[in-house]
Amino acid sequence: MSGASGTEALSEFRRRCQNWIAANLPPKSAPAEDPVALQRLLFDSGYAGIPFPEEYGGAGLTLEHQQAFYDLAHELGRQVPSGVALMVSVGMLGPTILEHGSHEVKSRFLPGLLRGDDLWIQLLSEPRGGSDMAGARTRLVRDGDSYVLTGSKMWSTGAHQSDYGLCLARTDWEAPKHRGLSMIAVPLAPTTPGLVVQQTRSADGTMGEFCEEFFDDIVLPSENLIGEENIGWAVAQTLLFHERNAVANVGYGYIGWDQSESPAGAYEPGRVSDLIGIARQRGVDQNSSVRQLIADVFIEEAVLPLSSARVMTGMALGTHEGQWGSLLKLQESEAAIERVRAALAACGAEGVIWEGDDIELDNPGTSWLLARGGTLAGGSSEMQRNIISERLLGLPREPSVERGLSFNEVLRRQESFE
Amino acid sequence: MLGLPVQLQMSDEQEAFREAIRRFIETEVPLSKVRDLYGVAEGFESAWWQEAARLGWTSLFADERYGGGSLSGGRVRDAVILAEEIGRGLAPGPFLPVNIVAAAISRGGSDEIKTELLPALVAGEAVAVWAFAERAGRWTLNGLEAAIDRTGDGLLLTGAKHYVEAADNASHALVAALCDGLPTQAIVRLDGPGVAVRRGRSIDMTRRFGTICFENAPVEPAWVVGEVGQAAEALHQQLHIAVALQCAELVGVADRTLDFTIEYGRDRFAFGRPILSFQELKHRIADMVQWLEASKALAGALAEAVDEGDADAGRLAHTAKAYIGDKAARIVDDCVQITGGIGVTWEHDIHMYNRRAALLRALYGSPEEHKEELYCLLEATVGAST
Repeated sequence: MSGASGTEALSEFRRRCQNWIAANLPPKSAPAEDPVALQRLLFDSGYAGIPFPEEYGGAGLTLEHQQAFYDLAHELGRQVPSGVALMVSVGMLGPTILEHGSHEVKSRFLPGLLRGDDLWIQLLSEPRGGSDMAGARTRLVRDGDSYVLTGSKMWSTGAHQSDYGLCLARTDWEAPKHRGLSMIAVPLAPTTPGLVVQQTRSADGTMGEFCEEFFDDIVLPSENLIGEENIGWAVAQTLLFHERNAVANVGYGYIGWDQSESPAGAYEPGRVSDLIGIARQRGVDQNSSVRQLIADVFIEEAVLPLSSARVMTGMALGTHEGQWGSLLKLQESEAAIERVRAALAACGAEGVIWEGDDIELDNPGTSWLLARGGTLAGGSSEMQRNIISERLLGLPREPSVERGLSFNEVLRRQESFE
Repeated sequence: MLGLPVQLQMSDEQEAFREAIRRFIETEVPLSKVRDLYGVAEGFESAWWQEAARLGWTSLFADERYGGGSLSGGRVRDAVILAEEIGRGLAPGPFLPVNIVAAAISRGGSDEIKTELLPALVAGEAVAVWAFAERAGRWTLNGLEAAIDRTGDGLLLTGAKHYVEAADNASHALVAALCDGLPTQAIVRLDGPGVAVRRGRSIDMTRRFGTICFENAPVEPAWVVGEVGQAAEALHQQLHIAVALQCAELVGVADRTLDFTIEYGRDRFAFGRPILSFQELKHRIADMVQWLEASKALAGALAEAVDEGDADAGRLAHTAKAYIGDKAARIVDDCVQITGGIGVTWEHDIHMYNRRAALLRALYGSPEEHKEELYCLLEATVGAST
């Protein structure tokens, strides 16, 4: 595990981090620090973007060093920058730009991203296509030194609070579906001419984190292109890979986002001790179906970190290469559904009915309305199963009705069904 | 990705051990031999068992002074390597009972018992079995009814022990019973007075079971393992080892079954396509791969917890058996469906895997029973905090 080719040995790195973490990061018991402020503190001390090259603002070390840093912070009970926004920026968009961006693109965007100054999101799904992401119809047209972007995106998390979005758009409509796409950085400031960002109202009635964006002939400099024109699908694949890893808390996404620790005071359906307490109060604690469901919740919670630790170990050893994040994402999101199901079983009527005129959200019934978000967002469970079976196991793909056809031809044939 | 072991990080010695076991099973007890043994009353051959013993099948938990010894110092972790391969190849032999008895007497037995039994067990010359469950087939301490009474003639054991693996092959049994109402265990000779063994079979091709009836059978005080009335902790420890080994074995069974089922499905064509190009089947395979990977993670964590004597080893044992017992059996079952009609014939090997999976699911407690035990443990901690 010691550093090859001049990389700082892990043991030395750990010693260095230990001192720095103890001296600089606030304890978890203290009031929660602003995540962006914490990220800047890490950046300014050389602990942000640990596996990113130094020339782009990183520490020039490895994923193992990054893991060691966040493990130490956890062991020492210290706060690290938390929240979805930084996870998406640093854990998903950062490594994607690192892999596909030109030197100029990386120099321009990565330092601000790693420092938390610029929050990045992905602009992939469209209102007409969730899983079929490569069927994107947002249009990107070259115009001299610029591009013009027209269309709309949906299911982008936190777009209303972000600085840049990485947008998948079609540059060649005569090429086959996957070969006519490009990826371009779109500034999300409300002042951007031609841009409208709207929050999507969730099934529980609240304005959630999801947004929908409308692009009306937005003019973008050609330097905003990430990767070459028409290789956008490869960039998107990289992004999705890092997204699954981030959800599964492995790889670049291992940046201290402990999903088992929800923010203090937040409602969490299906906490085992709560379920046992409720079942006892309601007198259904002798109902063996309820007992088995609650035990299942405990079991899935116990298994998840073990699976994830095994995959991390396997990645370091080389026994687990490729799309293992899909497997963990599938496991995690399906288990989350079962948690809510168990909460509904334990709570009975109390889970869906309450007194008074107020609309209450902290109950299993409302959680149930949103529970499927987890098995849909970040690639549906069905997509994860495709990835596991086709890419991890190498099973044959479904025959495609689109193979060899231009995207325009695909659309024409589709119209005959519509 | 199939075929990855429970323990990803093994020493060279452990790797060599795994290789040697795999080769030994492939050459000495291939599935064709397992089929032959179906018709043999004992279910295994004693000369073969002595060969297996020479490779380490009987010594991992035994006291070093009597020929035992582990590879890494982690006895359960070493034995998990063996259990997994046994599952993969459906090997016969009284692996689990012999090792549980060796572990128990190495830990709490007198020198007299150790001298009497351990060298012979380690050499594979004798078989000793673990007699724990009773008629109801429950592997919990509160299911014990067999009793050791203190009489003028010494200690006398009365009761019936059911579902005893390899009972008919054994010279001795390690019997769990109540003495003065408290858990006690002792080694009893099976050819002694007041002992009757009824042979039985199981759904498995080679694993035989039996019932042992004790009617005022004398128990020598020096053959009580540990102190009279103080066996609860040792019994829990033995149950944890048994569950850890059978979970690893179930992983081996499920991994091998899924592996050959996928190979079959790649080559099998229907409607002009390999059947595993159909999403319906691919998606089920993906779920099974996820369950299997999680099962491996859990089996490895349990082995480590039992080796290290972790305080939550019991909770983890219930968790592991509940999860792996359920998932491994479901994997084999769904592989039968994917295999198609040939999967329910004698000719295809898959029924042999289904047999072992169904046996292990039930033995040492079903997933449903372990979930109930788990709930009771969780409930107790919630009660304590409110």
